[in-house]
Amino acid sequence: MSDDNSNLYVYGIIEQTDIEMEVDGVYGASTLGTVDYRSHSALTSTIDTTDPERTDEAVATHDDVLRAVVERDDVETVVPMGFGMAFKNARTLKGVMRGAQRAFRKALNDVEGCVELGIKLVDPADGATDADELRGALEDELDPLSAGQTEDDLFSDRLIANRSYLVEQDQRDAFDEAVERVETENEDVLVKYTGPWAPYNFVDIHIGAEASN
Amino acid sequence: MILVDDLLLKPFVSLLDILHAMVLDELHDMGAIRDEIKENQLLYELGERPESEYERKKGRLEAELQVAEEVHEKLISGNIEVQ
Repeated sequence: MSDDNSNLYVYGIIEQTDIEMEVDGVYGASTLGTVDYRSHSALTSTIDTTDPERTDEAVATHDDVLRAVVERDDVETVVPMGFGMAFKNARTLKGVMRGAQRAFRKALNDVEGCVELGIKLVDPADGATDADELRGALEDELDPLSAGQTEDDLFSDRLIANRSYLVEQDQRDAFDEAVERVETENEDVLVKYTGPWAPYNFVDIHIGAEASN
Repeated sequence: MILVDDLLLKPFVSLLDILHAMVLDELHDMGAIRDEIKENQLLYELGERPESEYERKKGRLEAELQVAEEVHEKLISGNIEVQ
């Protein structure tokens, strides 16, 4: 852990773009900037540690910053980093970006022009629903409009479905309408529709001093 | 007094000690507690759970999780004492 305030926390990677914006960032950071290496930019904030503590609040802040970037018109694709990637200085970060260039290129290509949207279907308290039928309706409506889907953790007995979708930006309106149809046709079911998020569930990159995926 | 990591060195010490450690781990199941925290949050956000109930349950679950993490850490480090 360093005492100075020049450590860089990395939220994600984008195609080379200059960004400077005010954010409520991780560890009290108030601005988001970029550090470039060739055709990629790392989304960074300056913080006072290279070992940020993982708390629910800090993770949510990390997500919120990425979400703000996803909404920008000048950014087409964001490859998110997991929580906790912090580097001593820009030079160290650039060294890591050099080593991870190919992984970043592949990840950016894999999710180009896409965002992640999440949907959870929750059984009403009386449990009087046909879960298989609902899951089928979800697949019929949403799968054709997405470039990828993941089945996420069913952490509650009341969760009928918990899915993440990779959706191209130009399909978002159609996707929103399809979700509305699912809600309208299944009024008893509780629907939690979230996003857009950086596509966490569709890229898996961890960068550090040693290697990248 | 026996340390859990001693069990590897003394396989005949006590099956009871192993069972005791397993029960502790089961009783303080961090995954199950985290799932309950997520469920509590989800039902609150969907308006299924009033704020007062949500806050009460959240406080209880976070306290349970803290205890579970401490127990788990001790079980891993072998520093938990089985009597």
